[in-house]
Amino acid sequence: MRATATAPATTRSISIGPSLTRVTVVLGGGAILLLSAVVVAVAIGSVGVGLGDTVAILGHRLLGLPLGRTIAPGAESIIFDVRLPRVLTAMLVGGGLAVAGTVFQALLRNPMADPYIIGTAAGASLGAIAGLMAPILVPALAIGVGSSWLGLGLVQVLAFGGGLATVLLVYAVSRANGRVPVVTLLLTGYAVSSVLAAGVALLMFFSGQHLGAIFGWLMGSLAAAKWVNLAFAAPLLVISSALLIVRWRGLNLLLLGDGPAAHLGIDVEREKLVLTMLATLATSTVVAISGTIGFVGLVVPHVLRLALGPDHRLLLPASVLYGATLLALADLGARLAGGIPVGIVTALIGAPFFIWLLRRSRTVRVVVTP
Amino acid sequence: MAPRLRLPSTLVILAALLLGACAPAGSGSPSATVPSASSAPSAPAHSVYPLTLTDDAGREVTISAAPARIVSLVPSNTEIVCALDACDDLVGVTDFDDYPAQVADVAEVVIGAVVDVEKVIAADPDLILAAGNEATSTAVIDQLTDLGYPVLALYPQDLQGVYDDIALVGEAIDAQGTAEELVTSLKAREAAVVAAVAGAERPRTFYEVGVFEGSIYTAGKDSFLASLISLAGGEPILGDAASTAIQLEDLISADPELILLGDASYDASVTVESIAARSGWSDMTAVREGRIVIVLEDLVITRPGPRIVDGLEALARAIHPELFP
Repeated sequence: MRATATAPATTRSISIGPSLTRVTVVLGGGAILLLSAVVVAVAIGSVGVGLGDTVAILGHRLLGLPLGRTIAPGAESIIFDVRLPRVLTAMLVGGGLAVAGTVFQALLRNPMADPYIIGTAAGASLGAIAGLMAPILVPALAIGVGSSWLGLGLVQVLAFGGGLATVLLVYAVSRANGRVPVVTLLLTGYAVSSVLAAGVALLMFFSGQHLGAIFGWLMGSLAAAKWVNLAFAAPLLVISSALLIVRWRGLNLLLLGDGPAAHLGIDVEREKLVLTMLATLATSTVVAISGTIGFVGLVVPHVLRLALGPDHRLLLPASVLYGATLLALADLGARLAGGIPVGIVTALIGAPFFIWLLRRSRTVRVVVTP
Repeated sequence: MAPRLRLPSTLVILAALLLGACAPAGSGSPSATVPSASSAPSAPAHSVYPLTLTDDAGREVTISAAPARIVSLVPSNTEIVCALDACDDLVGVTDFDDYPAQVADVAEVVIGAVVDVEKVIAADPDLILAAGNEATSTAVIDQLTDLGYPVLALYPQDLQGVYDDIALVGEAIDAQGTAEELVTSLKAREAAVVAAVAGAERPRTFYEVGVFEGSIYTAGKDSFLASLISLAGGEPILGDAASTAIQLEDLISADPELILLGDASYDASVTVESIAARSGWSDMTAVREGRIVIVLEDLVITRPGPRIVDGLEALARAIHPELFP
């Protein structure tokens, strides 16, 4: 399964870069799409709040404008406390997963790579489930704290830490003679994930009434989105995504293979370490606030690569914008479909689209082995 | 391939079953009498607001004024509210609610066991009655609490728990007199059942909650259902405390003298004949002696509201038909 995502004329695109019009169209269009998606997703929900009321509430709460109209009881809370944080969370999660997926696919030169591939999902899942079940595992925790043990805190912290720690472990184990071969990294990630997944299954078997909560978490959900989680996640995601975007050149070179990249003058091992850690930071942050949402991090990078070519100067910022748009809209669909997990919507609608795109692009050499 | 978590399909099924168990299907069961709750002539205590109560999850909940807009997130809570003559105050219920009939007109804020937080907020409640133990997800309870709503999580684990919850809701909505009267009458009916079965033989009783893909679900260790069977004069054969499942070989070795088919309430294909035909079941005493009983009252046996005593009486009739002619 050796393969890279390289379209014709890679070298030209590195030396010249995408044209300014193309950048403007792709990124400007993406930004407009994203903004429209946010407006639509905030305006629509299971309870009807008029567009005028929605705008007035947002203006009132975000810009301090006078409300200037009477609104239905609860409408303000629905828009500002429930929908807005949820839509913003969907954006951050979608953007974070897409950019991390783009990085991992290039870094590992593997078309099946997604943000979770080297252990983030398994580590974060084990951490989160341990957090969910803390009252059973450590009975002392259950005394007198009521329901707060499921709220902000333990689950998010353990998921975040579990994802990061797992990747650090995988990376350290894969290292030999100062090098981290991509294949070793992938296989070690698979092996460590399998061990952790066994732990997850074991905990689930004994989880009793927590099984529902665990399932919801594993399938990924944005239902519990709240401002306090956003305050934790937004800075981490913005910073890690920005740092990944500015490393586009390293990713372009790594696509050529470790050897050629080294000849072209980058410190390959250092570059791989930095990219892995930044992408893992983004992934772990996302997983901590939304669980393991599938599909977005695998397919959005492929779709964009098919449409835009493999130059990461354009690909990375585009994946943030379009990943965010996709998940905001997918979550709207999930809400309207009675609160089903958002991963179901992304896969049901996204996968057929992806297949259509793959067939349409058969003439294009999507995947090239170096 | 990406090493995603591959969960054994049995776990998926188990989850579905557990989730399903939390949301009783509303198929028709010939329910018995309604506990009448006529208002007390001499109202004893009145609630004084703001009122701080401790719910079944150990959370302190403050209610600022007598609630007039109540949202119930599980059918058992709905039944408690209505039994306390406050049915008219309900502004949100679930799509599983089927009793009493008038709740059909109340807005549905829980659909398919998923709480629609937006609809709860739109109902503008001043009291939310949730379920404990993850039947209402703790994430939802936290979210609603963070938004400033008083949320009482009710999780009765035995009959006394139901009585306590009726009293708790009575205190919360200033219906303490009605609650007290209701609990007194329920306790009297419980005592009558207990007295009737006292001294009678206690058959080893297997209550079938469901059989799915080879997994057999029954009354879990320390479960509400197990305590009801015990009160009704049976010796419950217990499943695992967490999963409520029992392995077939454990069931055979426990050798039930009586099999109660609670799942027949929802599934017409579960019959006395279908049980006897299952492989491995024919050696059980209950099957050999033909002591297999269809129980159509599963809904009230498993819904921890005021009608739970109807369920107790139904169980006692099924276990000791000779004592309840």
